[in-house]
Amino acid sequence: MDLSWTPEERRFRETVRAFANDKLPPDIRDKVLRHQRLHRDDYIRWHRILADQGWGAPTWPQAFGGTGWNAIERLIFEVECFKAGAPRLLPFGLSMIGPVLMKYGSAGQQQRFLPRIIRVDDWWCQGYSEPGSGSDLASLKTRAEVDGDHYVVNGQKTWTTLAQYADWMFCLVRTDPDAKAQRGISMLLIDMRTPGVSVRPIRTLDGGHDVNEVWLENVRVPVANRVGEAGQGWTYAKYLLGHERTGIAGLGHCHRELGILKALAARTPRRGRPILEDSRMRDRISRIEVDIMALEMLLLRVAAARGDAPGPEASVLKIRGSEIQQDLAMLQMEIAGPDAWPYDPDWMEAGAPFHGPGPDMAAAAGAGYADMRKTTIYGGTTEVQKGIIARMMLGL
Amino acid sequence: MDFSYTEEQRMLADSLRRLVQDEWSFARRRARAADPALDARAWSQLADLGVLGLNIAAEHGGFGEAPASLLPVHLELGRGLVSEPVIPSAVMSATLIAACADADMRRQWLPALASGQAIVSLAYQEPGRRYDIEPEQCRVRPAADAVLQLSGAKHLVWHGAAAQAWLVSARDIDFEPMLLLVPADARGVQVRDTPTLDRARCAQIVFDDTPLPAAAIVAHGQAAIDGLAAALEWGTAALCAHAAGAMERLLEITIDYLKTRRQFGQPLAAFQVLQHRMADMLVAKEMALSMAYVAAAALTEPDVRQRRRMLAGAKLEAARAGRFVAQSAVQLHGGMGMTDELEVGDYFKRLTVIDLLLGDSAEQLAALEELA
Repeated sequence: MDLSWTPEERRFRETVRAFANDKLPPDIRDKVLRHQRLHRDDYIRWHRILADQGWGAPTWPQAFGGTGWNAIERLIFEVECFKAGAPRLLPFGLSMIGPVLMKYGSAGQQQRFLPRIIRVDDWWCQGYSEPGSGSDLASLKTRAEVDGDHYVVNGQKTWTTLAQYADWMFCLVRTDPDAKAQRGISMLLIDMRTPGVSVRPIRTLDGGHDVNEVWLENVRVPVANRVGEAGQGWTYAKYLLGHERTGIAGLGHCHRELGILKALAARTPRRGRPILEDSRMRDRISRIEVDIMALEMLLLRVAAARGDAPGPEASVLKIRGSEIQQDLAMLQMEIAGPDAWPYDPDWMEAGAPFHGPGPDMAAAAGAGYADMRKTTIYGGTTEVQKGIIARMMLGL
Repeated sequence: MDFSYTEEQRMLADSLRRLVQDEWSFARRRARAADPALDARAWSQLADLGVLGLNIAAEHGGFGEAPASLLPVHLELGRGLVSEPVIPSAVMSATLIAACADADMRRQWLPALASGQAIVSLAYQEPGRRYDIEPEQCRVRPAADAVLQLSGAKHLVWHGAAAQAWLVSARDIDFEPMLLLVPADARGVQVRDTPTLDRARCAQIVFDDTPLPAAAIVAHGQAAIDGLAAALEWGTAALCAHAAGAMERLLEITIDYLKTRRQFGQPLAAFQVLQHRMADMLVAKEMALSMAYVAAAALTEPDVRQRRRMLAGAKLEAARAGRFVAQSAVQLHGGMGMTDELEVGDYFKRLTVIDLLLGDSAEQLAALEELA
């Protein structure tokens, strides 16, 4: 066992850090570090900068145009990009449908869709949850009936992140109404421009618009756009959810937010001194630093042991990662204190000048705290994750 | 001790419960919050029930109720997330004017506060000074003809843009603290109105050589600081009751949701892990409600150090329990709890903001340390 970073890993970290600091557009960085809202073009610009460097698909094998990095290199890359203030990489193509197509898609689907993910020529979204099927995803009701060489899809999806920008949706549908819950589900790839697809925004606690409802009314989808076998959609979905959960640990996010927190604490006075010098605050920051250290090592251990197919350990990562993200947002709000009370939606949209009070990074602290409550809900609630741990790790 | 409501308190609480259910429904609250201006009709309904004149002396058009009556009233206001400026105007400013102002000023302002014709808010916080009640940047200097000039900036003035006047803390040329009553239409005043996280309003106010008559002085020297502290104590007691009321209502809302929403073939309410979370929420609410009683009792506690301990403790508990109940309610609502489309989100935000108003938890802990 050698638990130190190798010289190659250290060099790699320096390379990524230098690249991110050099190539990340300052306007995007400023929005990210101030918690202002990002828009479609912000994400796409950063993806294409990475693609030009050959880093557009950091989690993919080289055969599909990826970097071929191992789990440790990917982790270093994620952390350094986040610390620099880069937007998160859109997970829908890279981490969700991409790996599914590599494993289960037809050669035609792979050739058609995978290259277009790397430069976000296609923006993907995830059609999983439904109004009546959240934690109990397998109870989903959206149905697809065969009509010649097409499926006709009817139903409603919800919590569809950034569907307002999406070109394609990978969608779980019920193709066999008579089969038991999981057995009758298939996965379809739906062109969002098909007649009958409509997207309605859902405003979230922080006033933002990241999630949507997607309505599907007599949407005609070629049978060729089904992934793998009919009735096997649940297998593919579970494979995909495993990928989502390791990313959901949010390690890069935690490192970035810790940096923002310290900067805010250094710039916010209490009784004439920066809050960063307050010993009670120092204790709390230290606790979170230890939490992040533990999360990082946990992620490395899981990645080293399981590689591409994380098992129930992903639930451990999800639980702690989401809690630490919430703790960071809460502590940021506490540091901002009175300055977290006003909420200026115009400034959040980055269209209006900042009028105070307090440092500009304090302005979104209240909204950020509210927004982070989602982390213990999305991607499988903490309660669901604990159930998985109890069943699969504890054998209860 | 006697924990029963008086007949007047019971009737007032019952009437308020009904009023708030109808007039502060989710839809009406949202509609009102979308308009930066105060809803005059809603405001006059609060005045008509006696909420605004509750503790103002009868000789000034109020009801002269004892401080403990804040509890039943603000519990109900909290249940309905009433965002109108009851606490800054009818509680804090009325307390301060009654305690510090001369007879002329009391006669001029207290009846107007009790009837709701006037709104006054406290402008005591300065940028970069968090919750410090000692003014520093706002300065008053004498000008010609017995006129004073006020300069400096205040921020986070609760409903500042809706007020006809503000009670402004400042320093004179000898650095003595003073409190001034500044009409909103005075010269050299700039107001920037901002929405807040909990769908109320606050204002940033800049005074630039604002001329004021000597009669604008409400208090001078230590009396100014003491008056401000008393106003904050009354505000804190009201806010603690408001928080407990909001928690109580949020529990009801969450229970309804758990009984209605089904997953895995049964209502969410059937899952023991969720039942236990609700039980924890109830325990937290009961502790915060008990501390709201402590806060109300504090207002008649003659020992100043004990009074401050009681209020600091109540504020801490309101913040801690409020945060836990709010976070839990969102979690139990799952995806729907993340949205801005249910009222759980509004309760979450108000209960979050309790900690940020009138001194956060760090401030209360520091006060308790000094009082130990």
